[in-house]
Amino acid sequence: MERLDNKLGMLNALPIFFVLMLSFLAPLIVVAAFSVMPQKVFSLFNAPDFSAYMTIVEQGYWRSLVWSLGMAFASTAVLFILCWPLAFAMAKVFGRFTLILTIAVVVSLFVSENIRLFGWILTLMKGGLIEGHLRALFGTEMDGVLYNVPVIVFGLVYVYFPFMLFPLAQGISMVPDDARQAATDLGASRWRILWEIDLPLAAPGIVVGSLLSFVLAAGALAESKLLGGQVVIVMADEVETAFTYGQDWPLGSALSMVLIAIIGTLAIFGVSKVDLDRIMGRKR
Amino acid sequence: MKLTRREFNLGLAGTSGLALLGASGPARAARNNEMNILCWEGYNTDEVLQPFRQAHPGASVKAESGTSDPDMINKLRAGEVNVWDLINLNQPWARGQLYPEKLIKPLNKDRFMPYFEKMSPDFAAPYPLAFADNGDLIGMPQRYGPFSFVVNTDKISREMAEDQGWNLFLDPAMKGRYGVLTYDNWNIIHMCLTGGLDPFKPVEGADLDTFRATADAIFGGAKLLTDDLVAMNLALINGEIDAYFTGGTYTASPARYDGATNVRGITPNSGPVDGKGGVVWIELTSAVNNPNPSDLAEEFLEFVQTPDICKAVAFAEGTYNPISQMGNEEVMAKFDSDELDAIQWDSLGEEMSRSLDYQVVASYDKLNELYNAAKRG
Repeated sequence: MERLDNKLGMLNALPIFFVLMLSFLAPLIVVAAFSVMPQKVFSLFNAPDFSAYMTIVEQGYWRSLVWSLGMAFASTAVLFILCWPLAFAMAKVFGRFTLILTIAVVVSLFVSENIRLFGWILTLMKGGLIEGHLRALFGTEMDGVLYNVPVIVFGLVYVYFPFMLFPLAQGISMVPDDARQAATDLGASRWRILWEIDLPLAAPGIVVGSLLSFVLAAGALAESKLLGGQVVIVMADEVETAFTYGQDWPLGSALSMVLIAIIGTLAIFGVSKVDLDRIMGRKR
Repeated sequence: MKLTRREFNLGLAGTSGLALLGASGPARAARNNEMNILCWEGYNTDEVLQPFRQAHPGASVKAESGTSDPDMINKLRAGEVNVWDLINLNQPWARGQLYPEKLIKPLNKDRFMPYFEKMSPDFAAPYPLAFADNGDLIGMPQRYGPFSFVVNTDKISREMAEDQGWNLFLDPAMKGRYGVLTYDNWNIIHMCLTGGLDPFKPVEGADLDTFRATADAIFGGAKLLTDDLVAMNLALINGEIDAYFTGGTYTASPARYDGATNVRGITPNSGPVDGKGGVVWIELTSAVNNPNPSDLAEEFLEFVQTPDICKAVAFAEGTYNPISQMGNEEVMAKFDSDELDAIQWDSLGEEMSRSLDYQVVASYDKLNELYNAAKRG
């Protein structure tokens, strides 16, 4: 009876399963197929060659890849260090204040990313909110702090803050207070509790938060364009250029595939290391 | 959870119903009750579309603005020829790609040739690049503008900038004092001119090395790169930079209309191609080769050439631009002195005479490769 039930359930789910597969996978399959087409063609009806991938290797696109992944890594690390104390407080200390904090962080997402970044331009540029005030108060003229790599990382940290904060708070809330208290009773130092209790038990939240921020930051474009003045060219920028000004869809697709492959591998590796069912609350 | 036979059948029935609904396909409206235009910002504003909608009650008139010529072309290539009736692009794309690939179709010459007579002298001849090689009329010109570079005249005088021309950006004293507006197709043209090359003829051999060196030098000395003209103007006004590579009336006019008249588009006094160093863009609005065409398309093309709508197109939100119909006194009377100053009307004639027509870049693919390598650093 149970087997029949399973079968019926599967049959029932089959149509929607196909619709979802089609809508998730079809665009990816088209991109993957275009990536092996000869360069500068606009149709999939060509004999595949891998010239677009060769171009990526030959023309130094690795630089953009390294910048994208490097800045994504840096911003994820900064986010983790920045969010940990706040997430800890949200999960264990603040009580009702957590709700207010959550709303405050979520509300910032209601405003478009580009507009928020433009706000930072007006704040940080020469003659902007900060430098303009300093000049008016002290009469010293300084350069703005825009158009460099650290300010891009700052932009990434700012934009992806909620994506690290909430999973981390969720992860930390799963650490039982009893375990921490028992460790204290047994004479463990604060660092030891952090290292041996908090971090391992909050690992699912850490992994989810880090993956979300890393994946989003690796594909980010607006921060390097607006705040960074394209002082470095990121991978998403290369993809956009190939599809638009380059009119080279296969090259754009191949660049996307490289990024998808790297990030996909990292994501699968990360997810396989933690028990996601726990954070979803399905297992206790 | 147990799944009963009744629930399973219900699910099955629901799915079949949805499938049937999908198979029935969309109901097709008569295309003469519909007109869709894919355009640069301006034609999609209420000032332009609302009067046309009122003149054609019941018709669905929609416009979508693109962010670059190639973006819009991609839409047609991806199968949206069925969707759009008109496309508004800078002129080389129509001649170089859209018409040869049959993505656009010729306009009715009897209907549109008379419009050229009332245009500014530069276009009244009529404007040769509105025609395909076989003489077909492939689009109507309206907005245009000289497009070379922009300076803050409080820091670099107009005379000096015009005399120095593109060499301004190779001057070691300018290192870190200018930005590059990343309109890539334009930068490729301008970097050729900076290197003393003709961008519209094949660039080969040692000339490719010259281009590479020029691109390296321009990107190497740039303080910032952005494709956002507002961010660039802001940097210019606030003194982050004193000039930007690639720009003109189109990019300077919003700042000028806001009162920052020290932001000025510059056309070099001289250059490597027939003594000219500037370039001018001219938009053409063309009829998309829609298999199910709408009569409203050509009607809209006539409509945008009436004086009130001409003004609305020239001074739509975003950027402000001269239009070819300003040769008509009725149209000219619609502009006040501030508006004329925003579009640098005082120097427009001489700038046009020093500018080359924006054409198809013969060695675009190769130059684009070198350009992007230089941009990557």
